[in-house]
Amino acid sequence: MGNRSGIAVSWSRHGGADCIRLAGLAEVTGPAGLAGPSGAGSDAQVRIHPATAVALGTAPPTAGRLLRDGPDLCFLPRFPFLDGTVYVVTVDGAAVAELTRAGSDEPATTGVLAIHPSAATVPRNLLRAYIWFSAPMSEGYAAGHVRLVDDASDTDASDTDHGDVLAGALLATEQELWDTGRRRLTVLLDPARIKRGLASHREAGYPLRSGTPFRLVVDDGLRDARGQRLRAGADRRYQVAGDERRHVDPHAWTLRVPPAGSTEPLRVGFDRPLDHGLIARCLRVVGPEGRPVDGVADVGAEERSWQLAPRHGWAPGPHRLVVDPVLEDLAGNSVGRVFDRDLARPTDDPRDAGPVTLPFRPT
Amino acid sequence: MTEYGLRVGRAELGSAGPITFGPAGILFLADNAAATVFAVDVADPGSRPAGSDPFDLADVDARVGSLLGADASDVAIRDLAVHPDSGNIYLSVQRGHGESAQAVLVRIDRADASISDVPLTDVPVASVAIADAPAPDDERVDVTLPLGDEGEEITVGAKTIRVLRRPIRTSTVTDMAYVDGSLLVAGLSNEEFSSKLRRIPFPFTDAAGAAGNSLEIYHVSHDKWETAAPIRTFVPYDGGRAILASYTCTPVVHFPLAELAPGTRTVGRTVAELGAMNQPLDMVSIVQGGEEYLLVANTSHGLIKIAGRDIDAQAPLTDHARGLGVPRETADLQGITKLANLDDEHVLALQTDPDGRRHLRSLKAASL
Repeated sequence: MGNRSGIAVSWSRHGGADCIRLAGLAEVTGPAGLAGPSGAGSDAQVRIHPATAVALGTAPPTAGRLLRDGPDLCFLPRFPFLDGTVYVVTVDGAAVAELTRAGSDEPATTGVLAIHPSAATVPRNLLRAYIWFSAPMSEGYAAGHVRLVDDASDTDASDTDHGDVLAGALLATEQELWDTGRRRLTVLLDPARIKRGLASHREAGYPLRSGTPFRLVVDDGLRDARGQRLRAGADRRYQVAGDERRHVDPHAWTLRVPPAGSTEPLRVGFDRPLDHGLIARCLRVVGPEGRPVDGVADVGAEERSWQLAPRHGWAPGPHRLVVDPVLEDLAGNSVGRVFDRDLARPTDDPRDAGPVTLPFRPT
Repeated sequence: MTEYGLRVGRAELGSAGPITFGPAGILFLADNAAATVFAVDVADPGSRPAGSDPFDLADVDARVGSLLGADASDVAIRDLAVHPDSGNIYLSVQRGHGESAQAVLVRIDRADASISDVPLTDVPVASVAIADAPAPDDERVDVTLPLGDEGEEITVGAKTIRVLRRPIRTSTVTDMAYVDGSLLVAGLSNEEFSSKLRRIPFPFTDAAGAAGNSLEIYHVSHDKWETAAPIRTFVPYDGGRAILASYTCTPVVHFPLAELAPGTRTVGRTVAELGAMNQPLDMVSIVQGGEEYLLVANTSHGLIKIAGRDIDAQAPLTDHARGLGVPRETADLQGITKLANLDDEHVLALQTDPDGRRHLRSLKAASL
């Protein structure tokens, strides 16, 4: 443990907090460099460093307070000790102990709940995917554990290590795109490779190839908020079609209108799969006199449809489905604009930035 | 600090994001977990050291980690800012992961390289929410059963449980800069693909629209394709009259600030591309021999340097044959992820070496 006889160092508790306890220091005297215990009557220099910083020689000691506890001294860190970290305790410059903060040995319980898009076929210019987890996750691991792999010669879809990684297909972002609860991760395909005319697109081409299937793979190395690996990896396989470069056009949708008085859902069929995250946010129904219709909304299979079952029976009279123009398809084309507008094509021109309304009347 | 609307309180940082200095030594800190920007009086103790010596600090991540009781692998330096008067260096640091993650503001004394954590409790502070405007309509929340006493109690039948509701849509601040009474904030949505630049008046106000105008900026490539994309990093240019922005899709775009009126459609001028499979990371503007230059840290090349006169003379990038736009000089400076102006003569860079160790390094502007 140490080269200074008589000093025992251990993990302990003090005043409800974790500490490092030093026993047998009674005759050594008072810490400098740390806020020393008042009246401790000692001036020994007690310092804590993470073991990985010791080699630097001049790294600052770990911030904290040294408190007298009976005959012992307790070091209480300003920032809680981190699991898996090794701490070196020195007294007057001599290492007396090395303590390892044990990691958790709880079993892995967190898994992947869903991967979106849920469509079997995506356009070549697919922009975005979402991954839902069963529990809050840690940030900082996605780049190493979420990837797209070529699935052209797939033999065993359950083998997440199978297939060549499509290098540079996903956009590396400095900060990962989580929801506030850290259960949904958004990943973007590199837009510079999708947008026509840019150097990345010209030289490296699309991240995906039409007709060549691929898989989105989440391996079990991703960590949940407790620091545990996933229970298992997960993946979803996609076929790749051609490009999708049209505006999202609500006027091309089909509406199945429920009878007045019933609580049957309004069913809306899209002309193509739409963005999982945005559908849930961008559609609402307004009834007579402009009152929003309260009810339970559901997104259908492959994000190709949406329905709203009202809490109360449908009122007779005019209703409107209101579509936020932000709503995008899988390739990032929205109601208001296409993802990359060809200035020579009038059909690509931006459209009115206001909401689109589709009127209907329960009968 | 009362003239800037700061009141003694606590900047409760949920996550470490971009930082930048504003007037009177006030530091802006973006908290992406809470969708909030804090303005904090950091009570900088220093005064600018005589002369302008370079500042270098090897293994800055391990040193900061040592102070915070963490291995370098548990320390993420999210941003870097230099106090405009003292030259002291501030780092926005995320320590640990998941439940044990903490956001910490760290100061490095330029004179003696000592490292300390900056208190964010009982300090003059103001804040502004940066949730996107449509958020009040967005009723989607992620409902979980918390382990602690977070959230709210709801009663279902005879049973009372505690649930935690948190919004699903978030906007991540990618970069910030302060120009003439406005904090400019660029962000990246976890849902829609858009290029929003928010202009927030400072001092922050309680008035409607306090979160500022949100401006959608388009850019044109090769006279053929027009797109909007999230801004990844940007820098005030030409004395704050213009902005140079770089995108997730890499072009460098110039747009005059005066043209950024709310509700109008702004199209910037693409002045450069950074090359294939390359991502911009950070930008600063420097003055060399009386001329302004742009330095761009990026994932594929060393620092890219672009002369202001080339940017000003550059017609919109229209022709494939002209390739990457304005002339650039690529210095052999790999692994630079963050840049800040240290003084008139130096740029401070956060550099990752091939072993993954991170160092602070001064680059002499005259020799870049």
